[in-house]
Amino acid sequence: MNRHSRIAAIGGAAALAALVLSACAPQAPETSSTSSPDAGDDTLTIATTTDVVNYNPLVGNSRSDYWVTNLMYPHLLSIGPDGSKEAELAVDWGYVDDTTGFYEIRDDMTWSDGEPLTAEDVAYTMNAVKKDAPAGTYYGQMANFESAEAVSDTRVEITLTQPDSSIVDEIGFWGNVVPQHVFEPAGSVAEFANDGSEDGWVSAGPFELTKVQVGQSYTLDRVEDYPLVESGTPIPASIVYRVFPDVNTEILALQSGEVDAIANSLPPSQVEQLKSAEGIEVVEVTGLGYAHMTYNMQNPDLAKLEVRQALAHAADYEAIRNVVLQGQAVSTGSSPLMPVLSKYYDDSITEYEYDPELSRELMEEAGYTASADGMFPVSFRLIYSLQDPVTSQWAQLVKDGAAEAGIPIELQGMERNTYLARTNEGDYDIYAGNFAIMDDPATNFSLSYLPGGAINYTYVDDPALNDLIAQASATFDEDEKIEIMREAAKIVHDQVYDNVMYTQNLYVAHSSDWDGFISKPSELLSIVNPVSLASAHKVSE
Amino acid sequence: MSIALFILRRVGRGLLTILFAVTVTFLLLRLLPGDPALAVASPNMTDEARAALLTQYGLDQPLFVQYFLYLGELLRGNLGRSFTQSIPVIDVLMQRLPWTILLTVTSLVLTVVIGIPLGVLAASHKNRFLDRLVQVFGVTGQSLFVPSVGIVLLFVFGLNLRWFPIGGAYDDAVYGMEWYGSVLSHLVLPVISLTLIQLGSYVLTMRATLIEALGEDYITLAKAKGVPPRTVLWKHAVRNAMLPAITLIGLQLGFVVGGAVLTETVFAYPGIGRGIYEAVTQLDFAVLQGAFLLLAVTVVVANMLTDIAYGLLDPRVRTS
Repeated sequence: MNRHSRIAAIGGAAALAALVLSACAPQAPETSSTSSPDAGDDTLTIATTTDVVNYNPLVGNSRSDYWVTNLMYPHLLSIGPDGSKEAELAVDWGYVDDTTGFYEIRDDMTWSDGEPLTAEDVAYTMNAVKKDAPAGTYYGQMANFESAEAVSDTRVEITLTQPDSSIVDEIGFWGNVVPQHVFEPAGSVAEFANDGSEDGWVSAGPFELTKVQVGQSYTLDRVEDYPLVESGTPIPASIVYRVFPDVNTEILALQSGEVDAIANSLPPSQVEQLKSAEGIEVVEVTGLGYAHMTYNMQNPDLAKLEVRQALAHAADYEAIRNVVLQGQAVSTGSSPLMPVLSKYYDDSITEYEYDPELSRELMEEAGYTASADGMFPVSFRLIYSLQDPVTSQWAQLVKDGAAEAGIPIELQGMERNTYLARTNEGDYDIYAGNFAIMDDPATNFSLSYLPGGAINYTYVDDPALNDLIAQASATFDEDEKIEIMREAAKIVHDQVYDNVMYTQNLYVAHSSDWDGFISKPSELLSIVNPVSLASAHKVSE
Repeated sequence: MSIALFILRRVGRGLLTILFAVTVTFLLLRLLPGDPALAVASPNMTDEARAALLTQYGLDQPLFVQYFLYLGELLRGNLGRSFTQSIPVIDVLMQRLPWTILLTVTSLVLTVVIGIPLGVLAASHKNRFLDRLVQVFGVTGQSLFVPSVGIVLLFVFGLNLRWFPIGGAYDDAVYGMEWYGSVLSHLVLPVISLTLIQLGSYVLTMRATLIEALGEDYITLAKAKGVPPRTVLWKHAVRNAMLPAITLIGLQLGFVVGGAVLTETVFAYPGIGRGIYEAVTQLDFAVLQGAFLLLAVTVVVANMLTDIAYGLLDPRVRTS
């Protein structure tokens, strides 16, 4: 072969390789035209820290699962800044009688395959969740739910096993609605992966999931008809969720322009810095949860009220909020009825004052005598998750404060799964942690303070409190219910059945090239709720 | 020993090693604190629902029953279903495997291509400035920790200089040939991280074995015969010194895989390593068992092939 032939052969081989490679690479999708003049061509890229684990919204429990499936499967209700419920798919909701609830839903929603979204889908979803008990939050709200029935195309009625004045709001807020014609043939909703492996996904949100690159990104394309936004069509052409290892890398990606927004709330230490960063907007999001410590009353020492009070007075909450949270938190007055729940909040309940001397007096009242080194003959193990950096920091301040009062605390920070197991087994003296959303006081009190409650980490069983919680659950008059809950909260506070320390104000960040976000309370909804993302638009030059 | 018997023995030993790895992985996962139902369930889950979830995962059975059921399924080629994703484990792994192969193979090739010449350079300049420089580089590389290197690279080249992207394996909105460019630019920083931490071993091994080879009688003879120094170095000494460095590839594979787990996590690279990290946080035993089996098989097969190649090349190995 002469030189020219060799060059020709190499050139031919290179051209062939380029052709083959080009054929193997992803091809550009066909673009579709849109009818709405407001709809743009822009892609909004959002950073998240975890992959979507499960596309079945009835099972999924991680943040990314929630954020992505929330854009696909509507909820009956949304939430306002004070925790009150607002219309989403449902336009009206309430009770027919003490054991029958109802939802009236919109008549203009359709699934992405053209099937209408009707009350049958809503009733099917509820009954399937009750029957199959999937692991998500939805099933946990259904203790008093018996069955649901679509009495017309737009009305669902639910039958309860006993009066429950919170369940209509709670099921409506926590539960997504899924298409019956897709989920029912798949069998149990607890085991259905809904991974789109057959013909993609059938959804009814502002965006539909069109492309999944596991470990990398999730692309959702706009649907043309989404009646929950004013224009009827979402503005961004696509939403892309990109996966990053942690929030610090997400911030780097936002600063470098690789992403347009961060879905996770920012660590308190980064908020001020990002507020002053050029090209970045920081948005405050109302927090609907709280951080707390509970004292395990199965421990004979902690079963004594004076010891719990001594511990409650031995922590400097103001310092924790100012130093660890850099002022980005508000006191709840040591009450589970947080100020953000403005209808329920009772300002006559005040925060446990930091007073180590008072703690010492309370310990002595409880029958303990301090040794020569000033320490009382007790020792408490405080558990917390090392994956929670804020709690990990304030746990040390709690230990220091208690030592000041002569109460030794052994800090036991641990990996999250160990922490969950230890919590589940009640293998701790003091539990430190937080809840993201505690939106309905009656429901939360039932879970937190009734015997056998899933999050009754104090192991409290107080007949007076039990009675008030039962009354609240069966009371449908809101003013009356508020009074009962305030009375119950006072017992929780005075008996130190829970030590609620603060509600954290959350902050999320987005590029100043984007605007139009509609912020909703909690990290789950924040600026990434469906209506917000459907309304977001690029700022014109 | 005949070559057939030698190969049979090596394969048998490899299968036993895999069985051992499978058993240890199975047991270790079940010794982890916590339980998979708690890891995925919402806090308000009832005890009954949690028990139902454990039954669904097959974790309600006694340990030995779980083990033999798992082995039985494994022999039928079934790796089970992911606890959290409800899809076959093999699908979970196959979604991620190509990226890990791309990362580790690129890094391994680069390590060999850069490491061996650097070792030769050091040995041929023994005790001179270049040698010392390469040694410092090699020892420093061995002492580096992937996440630290990764974060520095991200900060300098990703954020400040903006030469390379911060994370992922490619850009979403690029297609055709441009897509390959995107894959390449996303590959650069993870590959540099993984290569830097491996390079030291190759450089130092090559340097040591080449210095030894350069002192051998046949080198002196070649020099005495007037063979040009370059030919003595590359054709006589380097060829003989290469064998231990090539052996290192098989031995280092486990290390590369371990490094890939950390590298993929730091760079959000969508490979098996990142998948393992996520499966650990969710206690998804089925995915973890599948991933560790895959990694064990890779390392065992690589070592087995090295052994067999040695046996074919050097009959003394077969008799040892």
